[in-house]
Amino acid sequence: MEDFLYVGKDVPRTAEINKVTGRAVYIDELKRPGMLYGKILYSRYAHARIKSINTEKAKKLPGVKAVITGYDIPDVRVGFMEDQTVLKRDVVRQYRDEVAAVAATSREIAEEALDLIEVEYEELPAIFDPVEAMKPGAPLIHELDGHGRPVKSNVLPLRWTLNVGDVEKARRESAYVVKDSLTTPWINQCCLGTSGCVAEFDSVNNLTFYSQTNVIFGAKQRISRYFAKIGLKDKKIRVINPIVAGSFGTKLDTDIYEFICIQLALKTRRPVKIQFTREEEFRTLPPRQTTRFEIEQGCDKNGMLTFRKAEAILDNGAYTSWGATTPSVMMMPISSLYRVPNVYFNAVCVYTNNIYSQAMRGYGNPQASFAVEVSMDHLAEEAGIDAAEFRMKNRNRPGEVTPMGLKITTCPLDRCITTVKEKIGWDQKRGKKNGRGVGMASLIHVAGGARVYLSDGTGIRIKVDENGHVDVLSGSTDQGQGSQTVLAQIIAETIGFRPEDINIIFGDTALGLWDAGTHASRHTFIAGNAAIRAGEKVKRQILELAVEYVPKLLKSDFRKQKKKDPDFHEPELDFTLIDNPEKLDIKDRMIFAKKAPENPNFRIDVARVLNRALNVGNGESKTVMAEVFWDPPTQMLNSEMKGNWSCTYAFGTTGAEVEVDTETGEVKILKLVAAHDVGRAMNPTLVKGQIYGAAYIGVGFALTEKLQVVEGRVMNPNLRDYKVLTALDDIPVEAVIVEDPDPMGPYGAKGIGEPGLVPTAPAIANAIYDAIGIRFTDLPITPEKVLAAIRAKKQENQQRDA
Amino acid sequence: MKGYDYYKPDTIEEAMKMMSTLDGAEYIAGGTDVMVLIKKKALSPQNLISLRNISELSYIDTDNGLRIGSGVTHSRISESDFIKRHYSALFDAVSNIGSVQVRNVGTVGGNICNAAPSADTLCPFLVFDAVVLIAGQKGEYQLAIDDFLLGPNRVALAKGEIVKGINLPALGANSGSAYIKHTRRKAMELPIVGIAARIDIDAKGHPNDWKEAFRRIDDISDMLRLLEKERFVCNDARIAMGVVAPRPIRAKKAESALQGKVISEGLLDEIGRIAASESQPRDTLRGEAWYRREMVHVLTKRAVLMALERMIHADSSNNPKTS
Amino acid sequence: MKREIAFTLNNEEIAVEVEPNWTLLYLLREVLEMTGAKEGCGVGECGACTVIVDGNAISSCLYPVMEVEGKNVTTIEGLSKEDGTLHPLQQSFIENNGVQCGYCTSGMIMSAKALLDKNPDPTENDIRVSIAGNICRCTGYVQIVESIRKAAEKMKNT
Repeated sequence: MEDFLYVGKDVPRTAEINKVTGRAVYIDELKRPGMLYGKILYSRYAHARIKSINTEKAKKLPGVKAVITGYDIPDVRVGFMEDQTVLKRDVVRQYRDEVAAVAATSREIAEEALDLIEVEYEELPAIFDPVEAMKPGAPLIHELDGHGRPVKSNVLPLRWTLNVGDVEKARRESAYVVKDSLTTPWINQCCLGTSGCVAEFDSVNNLTFYSQTNVIFGAKQRISRYFAKIGLKDKKIRVINPIVAGSFGTKLDTDIYEFICIQLALKTRRPVKIQFTREEEFRTLPPRQTTRFEIEQGCDKNGMLTFRKAEAILDNGAYTSWGATTPSVMMMPISSLYRVPNVYFNAVCVYTNNIYSQAMRGYGNPQASFAVEVSMDHLAEEAGIDAAEFRMKNRNRPGEVTPMGLKITTCPLDRCITTVKEKIGWDQKRGKKNGRGVGMASLIHVAGGARVYLSDGTGIRIKVDENGHVDVLSGSTDQGQGSQTVLAQIIAETIGFRPEDINIIFGDTALGLWDAGTHASRHTFIAGNAAIRAGEKVKRQILELAVEYVPKLLKSDFRKQKKKDPDFHEPELDFTLIDNPEKLDIKDRMIFAKKAPENPNFRIDVARVLNRALNVGNGESKTVMAEVFWDPPTQMLNSEMKGNWSCTYAFGTTGAEVEVDTETGEVKILKLVAAHDVGRAMNPTLVKGQIYGAAYIGVGFALTEKLQVVEGRVMNPNLRDYKVLTALDDIPVEAVIVEDPDPMGPYGAKGIGEPGLVPTAPAIANAIYDAIGIRFTDLPITPEKVLAAIRAKKQENQQRDA
Repeated sequence: MKGYDYYKPDTIEEAMKMMSTLDGAEYIAGGTDVMVLIKKKALSPQNLISLRNISELSYIDTDNGLRIGSGVTHSRISESDFIKRHYSALFDAVSNIGSVQVRNVGTVGGNICNAAPSADTLCPFLVFDAVVLIAGQKGEYQLAIDDFLLGPNRVALAKGEIVKGINLPALGANSGSAYIKHTRRKAMELPIVGIAARIDIDAKGHPNDWKEAFRRIDDISDMLRLLEKERFVCNDARIAMGVVAPRPIRAKKAESALQGKVISEGLLDEIGRIAASESQPRDTLRGEAWYRREMVHVLTKRAVLMALERMIHADSSNNPKTS
Repeated sequence: MKREIAFTLNNEEIAVEVEPNWTLLYLLREVLEMTGAKEGCGVGECGACTVIVDGNAISSCLYPVMEVEGKNVTTIEGLSKEDGTLHPLQQSFIENNGVQCGYCTSGMIMSAKALLDKNPDPTENDIRVSIAGNICRCTGYVQIVESIRKAAEKMKNT
């Protein structure tokens, strides 16, 4: 293994020291002079016609600076499918529809003003079940599409179909076939900091927008399109990221509250902040949507997969955000997790009067992998093969191209499976059906970017000043994963500085070069690749300066020494050792000659060289600066939904050991082992942090979390009733880093942001089956469901025996 | 938030006087319920009268029974070794209310006066036959906890009255108790069902060191079999159930079914079944009625078992004095 | 109807005018501009606003400001030394990845400090109980527990 100074080391995340001293500035801490507070009035119905809105009383409340409705702002459409307006003035289609907004001198006054707005509604029939909504003749949620054309169905005009090989033929020829139906619930991403933004216009309507977005240039583009529609076409827009308190998918799209905030700022000529309460966060933030899967797969008599067919229905809610594109990622495990030659996948997103949906960590993969992996266990049982062996037989291997066109380069899935088997005690514990059980599930995920936009690139600019300080300007963002630290490690390693010398500046469209966003587990891989390339350029520049200035520095040193000590003899030095940048290197801030690394004369602090070389005056001062835009060599999915959209793919396996209390239905997790292929771990402690955190969310997905939406209304909009796990819900999770350096990865790294979540729920479901012989296909697996199933099974057995 | 003024009387008398003179006044103790209600606009007081600084409400007296001032926080109760050992069900309840942050300010008086159907301390107080000590206009008087609780968030307090404390009678020599809070998570929870049990054993006719034989047994079923074989009889029992009725209630039929009977596994299962039949749970988003009823069955059995185990393992030399 | 209250904040005696209906969190964040304590839910269900009052961790979002009179309040801002040296807990959270997005961190550290001040040698369960009221969505708590455990060890040995 190569000898690295910083890559692969547990460098502490000192860059974020303000987070432990209370000085970090999130959106909630951000104040601008004269800033007002915005609040939004939401619909009181899931579906209704607005008959009238009266804002007069609210406007008269002292401290209120603006009250706006859909009649006060341009009637233009926004959103992924342009299927909604910023403020709704004719029809509301969900409880979270924004009907009016207020800007006032304090939050309290703004809230009070909301109570004074009178809205008269005429309730309309609503539809909450996507299956009902798909039926011909179902009432239409939208009568016109974004372009004003009549709409015929509640099914979104997005085609998510993949068809490879001959599934029907393969089914006929299969020795074993299983079919399962599975459902997953609404999940609130539950960032600990609630959503918020600040909009501020200057005197001529140029906008500075402080946003939590994790795609700053995407946000800028959406605002820019909006500006074009509302007559602000030529105005400048700057999007700035404060420190972001979690994202988990919520910050991909520009939310409606952000457009409202912009309108309030425009109207009042003052900076305006909107910051959600926790209740608003639950009621109005687009969650991960519900999904129903029908999955069927088969294998031959040797246990080799023959086909997989899956159909999914996603409840889109009333409008469309990026959540509607999650089928593109669902397709990945459906088509490419384990080798399966014939694949059919089809997904539909359906409008209903429920809360509209957005993406969440894993982007559809957790839902689809739940379907695939529960079905895999089912099929293994049907075929009479051990579930781990079944997976090993069908595992992905390096060099293969999957039915979706994914080119698998590195793939240590075999090691992930065997590691889990060993650590969970598979052979000793599996198949006992005594209330305790073990189960496993694996995953495939993009780990080298994901080309969802035309460009999946990122730009990075590195500049080094005369003090040896390195500033890195990047258009990426960080939501808490520690990107600054990892990027600093990579750059320090590449140039030869120390991580603490590297100052990373993220999240400012005015400073950073374009970036596709910190999503899809892409940051370390993509930005790392760009950083290495830019770092190498910077290093070359420094070494060129060194060739010129090291001899000068040495000579001046010798002169000085001679002045002090007349007996000093200048050493005879072979300057040909350093007469070319190729002959020099930098490590740990020291420049040295490659052929004489220990020669003390040629070991010079890089800062000395920079100090001497940069500000020489006489009109010849120089800069050390390089920028690189790196766009990975990948493809967008084509119309057949095929394409190698990531440079590389991550694999992993999670094993679970559970104990089921057959009297209460409670599931206790005795052990979780999460073995993940990370290419090379840039910072093992941070990598584990990603795995632990994701696994925990996965356990919540499996057992406790569900946004309870009843007839369109969120019924558990608080942290007491929405069951995010606490520190006392001790899940003994062991994170195992499986390394297989990726040739395309920066120093071999793959992305690891999302994978830990993906296989957790199916591993737990499979372990429960192993414990009690009941297959759960509806998440979360609550004690009620477990106990009811145990009872039903008992009854079934009794009837059979009788 | 609507404005209100805030008063901090030092004595009960002063507090009651303020209550009678100030408009729109409410008492506030730890504030973990009141402040939430105010924030949610479910309560809009003009004046808050804090009971936190009244020193005469913050006593724990363990001489002959247990007397707790209403201003005592859950944390203080959970730090008491005496309560943990002897009034174990109360310890169970207070040590898992909300979070440390809630327990550090939430008071026992607040918990009983808020009288949520899920209030954790109420089931233990019911099984300990607790008596509520009330400071009223005409002086102090006492009310059995069972009579104090009227319904969801409703208690038998006249306007201005203050719960001064709660008195728990001394326990018998062979008494054990437990409270089981059934939750989805392990913290930050209200119970889906809460069950408290207290059981007293008649050890007459058994050797003084009868517990020794039991202490060597690890398996709980073996312990039960031995109790049955040696014909240990339940002297007295209380079972209380939370979240299965408008207010926490006693399972009186289950209690009588236990009374005077030889302890056995079959009996405990029967007790659970009876308690379940006495519960009247509802379907809510926090839990379904059928499931709650099932849990009453299972947890009653488990709570009684836990109480028995604790009784057996309690250090008899440290038992509270009997009256 | 402003009232003046006096109390000790991070070892400094202060007197400040407050509205009686403020919470301690409001005073800290909006008036004193000490924004380390966060408002994650406003109703005592997330722990992000945790500060220490007279040795006890409390949710400052539910703590009536009038009750602070005469008390000793410690916030995250009062943990590091004047020269900027971090408290062992702060240092440990940085070193052991106990911090991700950081929004729970102030409250988490204050809960941990309240624990260690009373119990310098906590078990893992003691640690988990002490932070059970502090919700974290990023870390799965593993490295937070680790951070607290290692800080405790360090504090014991110095």
